[in-house]
Amino acid sequence: MEQYTILGRIGEGAHGIVFKAKHIESGEICALKKVPLRRLDDGIPNTALREIKALQEIEENPYVVKLREVFPHGTGFVLVFEFMLSDLSEVVRNSEQPLTEAQVKSYMMMLLKGIAYCHENSIMHRDLKPANLLISETGHLKIADFGLARVFSNEEGRQYSHQVATRWYRAPELLYGARKYDEGVDLWAVGCIFGELLNNSPLFPGENDIEQLCCVLRVLGTPSENTWPGMEQLPDYNKITFPENPPIPFEEVVPDASPEALDLLKKFLVYPSKQRISAAEALLHPYFFTEPLLAHHSELPIPKHGKKVRHRGQNPKEYDIDVPLEQSLVDPDLLAQFV
Amino acid sequence: MFQSSSQKQFWTFTSEKDIDVLRTEANGRYIEQHKKKTKGQDVTSFFLSADEEHVLCRHYEHLLRDFCRRFEPPMPPAVKGTACAYFKRFYLRNTVMDYHPKFIMLTCVYLACKVEEFNVSITQFCANLTADQERAAELILVHELLVMQELDFHLTVHNPLRPLEGFLIDIKTRFTSLSNPEQLRKPADEFLQRSFASNVCLLYTPSQIALTALVTSAAKQQVNIDKYVTECLLSSTDKKELRELVSTIKRIRSMVNNIPPLDIEVVRSLEKKLEQCGNPELNPDSEEYKRKQQELLNAEDEDFSLGISSAQEEENRQQEAQMLMSV
Repeated sequence: MEQYTILGRIGEGAHGIVFKAKHIESGEICALKKVPLRRLDDGIPNTALREIKALQEIEENPYVVKLREVFPHGTGFVLVFEFMLSDLSEVVRNSEQPLTEAQVKSYMMMLLKGIAYCHENSIMHRDLKPANLLISETGHLKIADFGLARVFSNEEGRQYSHQVATRWYRAPELLYGARKYDEGVDLWAVGCIFGELLNNSPLFPGENDIEQLCCVLRVLGTPSENTWPGMEQLPDYNKITFPENPPIPFEEVVPDASPEALDLLKKFLVYPSKQRISAAEALLHPYFFTEPLLAHHSELPIPKHGKKVRHRGQNPKEYDIDVPLEQSLVDPDLLAQFV
Repeated sequence: MFQSSSQKQFWTFTSEKDIDVLRTEANGRYIEQHKKKTKGQDVTSFFLSADEEHVLCRHYEHLLRDFCRRFEPPMPPAVKGTACAYFKRFYLRNTVMDYHPKFIMLTCVYLACKVEEFNVSITQFCANLTADQERAAELILVHELLVMQELDFHLTVHNPLRPLEGFLIDIKTRFTSLSNPEQLRKPADEFLQRSFASNVCLLYTPSQIALTALVTSAAKQQVNIDKYVTECLLSSTDKKELRELVSTIKRIRSMVNNIPPLDIEVVRSLEKKLEQCGNPELNPDSEEYKRKQQELLNAEDEDFSLGISSAQEEENRQQEAQMLMSV
């Protein structure tokens, strides 16, 4: 603790208060998440253990928030993360204009790279949502809040809790109470986030669990054993039935999206988890290779203290990638007389 | 992944000597600090030696494994492996004279339950104990953070159980000439259970230990899997590496098969000795200990308000209120 100066309070995290602090030796700004142990019946909360476990064992990745260190403090302990200015939900909410296609593409690329990395390391996040995607002061996106993350194994019969993920981003199998699931739950959430970025509003904003299922069914159509093999075996399948209803084409749900964006979106939002496109595959989708190409991180909105999010590089005339390089270089002869 | 794990980086040692050095250092530090307490008595007869400590540790490791085996509801095997590893790692840098193994042992198991996602409440956990359960719960929770801290918060343990499973699957798919691969499972598993009583998990990789278990099991069942090892598993390695692997397997096997037996009389006399040389400041039953805990509790709230003036704090708060974060 002596190594840090507290600069202020950032907010309440899933477990305990988060402080902004400066690491005295390096001068780096960090987020300190204090996990108190008082009044906790079962000792150190599982969410904190999972977060440490998940973040400690994976090597550094530019798209996953970095756990700098953990140290005990008083009767509890403190997790030290790199400091991040804002998160994707704030950026979307505070933008003066909707994100451009190039910007959405850039966020999706960073998100997918982070997820591909987690899944490669057998970690499923289980709680992906815009608020857990932090945005750095350079515009970079990093996945955070591994409090629900689990190391998954392919051993048969491993059961998990279905009470994971924030409702709007919860995969349909979880809504039906599935206890055996896989990293597909993250890919569903990625699809929801993608749709939200394209539409500038949440794709499936259910008010409660039942309504959540309604929202999904309204768009994807009522599932059947044909479109979703194995659904009848899900724990809560018999508890609720919905009237038959055909799917709404995604072209109508996300009207402004390009054909490539729609094609990728459709590959995430399918009922059978195994059929959802993996993060690694998605990174190779034509969406990322068609114009407009993804925005450089310097063209992404940077959250400013207490101000509306500022858009940079919105004006395409600011610089033109097609202009020959020579034109933007200064002629050395012109400088020669001043040297 | 084991290759990038904290286990490989920080908790795998090159030789038994390295381990002994750590234990001897921890023991020596304690004796140095508490020399005055001997009241003229001979240092070696007053304090436990590093070797004596190790005997006590092995005794409590035995109790730990026994506790895990009888645990209700039955626990997944990985919990036991992880708890054993925690216990061994803890006493590499600590001495039983500071922290009595009876508390540490239970805390290691409790922490391992959580880390391996075997979710039992503290009440459920303590229902497995015969002694005062409420007090036990309190003591486990008191030591939980300490154990985690002494493990450097390195919580993930790679057990040899999964690689063994992997080898069996691999044999079934690539070495089909073996008629009944499942017969290898039981003796191999028994070998792994015995391996928890040795130091192999501090010296070798989980897959090396699992492979030793497999080879040992095959020898016992009089099945020949040499071809599987040389042709399927190590087809691309050269002679030198193969020789190294063979000698590694031999060393692991000899360590696991030559665990010295524990003499319960010796253990009892060492426990007596521990009573006189243990550190009262760290004994949760002592008054000194309780006072210190209260001090810690009072101090921690202050830390987070220091280093900043109240006006500045207010300004910061306003700024931050507008950039809600959910780290």
